[in-house]
Amino acid sequence: MKVLIIEDERGMALEMEHFLIKAGYLCDLAFTAKKAGQFMEEGPYDFILLDLGLPDKDGLLVLEEAKQTCPEASYIILTARGKLEDRIKGLDLGADDYLPKPFSLLELQSRMQAISRRKSGLKNNIVPLGEFTVNLNNRTVLYGSIDIELSKKEFDLLGYMLLNKNRPLTRMQLSEHIWGSFSDDDYDSNYIDVHIKNIRKKMTEYAPVDWLQTIRGVGYKIKI
Amino acid sequence: MKLLTKLTLTTTFSKVAIVLLFVVLLPFLIDRVAFQSTNKLLKQQAEKVIDNIRKNGIDYYLQGDSSYGSYTLLKEEYISLERKKNIYTADTIQTSQRIIEGDTVTYRVLNQAFQFNNQLYELEVGRTIASISQYNSPLQKIALYVLGILIILTLLIDLSFTRILLRPLKTIIQTKILNPVFPFKESPPPVNTTTVDFRYLDKSLIALMDRIKEDFDREREFTSNASHELMTPIGILQTKMENLMLLNDLDEMVQEKIIEMMKTLNRLKKIVHSLLLISRIENDQYTRQDNVQPERMIRDIITELEHRLEDKNIRVSVSVDTQAILKQMNHDLLFQLFYNLINNAIRYNKQDGSISISDKVTTEGSYAISITDTGIGIPLGDIDRIFDRFRKKNSHEAESYGLGLAIVKCIAEYHAMRLEVDSTVGEGTTMTVIFVRNLMTLQ
Repeated sequence: MKVLIIEDERGMALEMEHFLIKAGYLCDLAFTAKKAGQFMEEGPYDFILLDLGLPDKDGLLVLEEAKQTCPEASYIILTARGKLEDRIKGLDLGADDYLPKPFSLLELQSRMQAISRRKSGLKNNIVPLGEFTVNLNNRTVLYGSIDIELSKKEFDLLGYMLLNKNRPLTRMQLSEHIWGSFSDDDYDSNYIDVHIKNIRKKMTEYAPVDWLQTIRGVGYKIKI
Repeated sequence: MKLLTKLTLTTTFSKVAIVLLFVVLLPFLIDRVAFQSTNKLLKQQAEKVIDNIRKNGIDYYLQGDSSYGSYTLLKEEYISLERKKNIYTADTIQTSQRIIEGDTVTYRVLNQAFQFNNQLYELEVGRTIASISQYNSPLQKIALYVLGILIILTLLIDLSFTRILLRPLKTIIQTKILNPVFPFKESPPPVNTTTVDFRYLDKSLIALMDRIKEDFDREREFTSNASHELMTPIGILQTKMENLMLLNDLDEMVQEKIIEMMKTLNRLKKIVHSLLLISRIENDQYTRQDNVQPERMIRDIITELEHRLEDKNIRVSVSVDTQAILKQMNHDLLFQLFYNLINNAIRYNKQDGSISISDKVTTEGSYAISITDTGIGIPLGDIDRIFDRFRKKNSHEAESYGLGLAIVKCIAEYHAMRLEVDSTVGEGTTMTVIFVRNLMTLQ
């Protein structure tokens, strides 16, 4: 998967690149709208991550033009401006998602994966997980043909860990994903343990869940 | 005392004082006028007599005698002429008494000496005082009545005119001080008045409002800019830390340190987020077009907070009209408002406590939703300050950033809602959100 990162803040762009390369994406970096234009003419991209606050051109204008050059790419708008109109305009212009800065790289990747799933048109996005299968689209966990009932939050948690498999996730990162901007990290992160305990309890009835690892002092990780 | 009353009282008081002085002085004045005109009359009489003597000779009066006297029937006037050897007194006009036919009468008397045919004569003309001063008291009375009526008339005129004069003051106070809701959107138009002083006051108030608005705008802009500028470095730090965490051979201690850093950064992020939210609300960046069913929203929030309720074993009872609809709301902001209030009700509650959420229509017809907890309560002196930014209910409460209620207040103001706090320390707190009457309908 090829990603074009259009971001004038170099520190930010480099970290995104670093993360996405590790996650198996191919990345191009453009710090200006001009450079981005050149990249877009050269080749098709699967994802274009666009910062709206570019020094040489209005981000929304860049988006409008990019949609002409690279119509098949998926667009995620990144911005610190966070104005409501920008968000609405951006989505109107055909952006697939909108991520206000500062955002978590894990959140970025999970949004990218969600877009891929949506675009691939697969009704059933099935991921194997040990002896279980997880359907990320209709939010079910199956052991054979047995449906394991997880609460909404429990499934959110499992799904997020699965998307970020083989990565240690802190309680804070997990709680931020689940409770979003309302979360009070210190307070809510304690509840992650309760939810993990429930997930383990519900699933070990059928098969071992040793893929769900506790990382001491950090949080949790799904290792497959 | 009202300015109108004060003005009317002073003018009336001074008028009454002047009128009373005039009425008291009236007899003296009349006397003076009367004396003067009597004197004039006496002089004319005397001249007439002397004229007659010149024309007709002294015997026209004396007829051979050495003296002549005559008075009118009612003795108001008399005249006497006497031949004298020597005259010692100068010509005078004075008030003195004369005895005429046994009656003692007070006269104004003119004495004049003159020569005729080498003979000295003294002429005396008199006129009674009684006839002069008998009008004093009726005149005084009439003056009193007339002036009294005049005072009442001017009082009425003064009252109505002052009222008209002072009307702009009322308008100024209403449009410049009472009506404007802070933050001012735009300065109201100047009040139309020809009174320079009021114009000055009005202008000064408009200038003051403009200055306040300017300062407020500047502060608002600063908060908004500062928050934006802070977001970028926070974002870079966050991604750097996240990438660090993904390194494979991380020392456990290093990992712990990174997590601590991420937590601190997250806290900073939350604070900046909250400030930015407040500044966006203050900058009118949210629409108010949603219809919200408060009952459903509150149930959603409770589901969202289930884990916290379970943790403290708190019972929640909701009795909110399922038919109620709040109009012209911003759904997300209203959600945030109730989320923060209910979250606080849990946060500051006791183990095994309870929360009750209920609605009612107040006596003025407004719709109100109350959230009552059985928590630690707020000391009376602190209630005014709980909505201030970075002011915590409880200083050793590490979990809060002190912005939750500031956000609540900001959202409430944005929707023209009122907030009421009622709290007893150790027993609990009731937070009431009151919606403007026309913003609520029943399905």
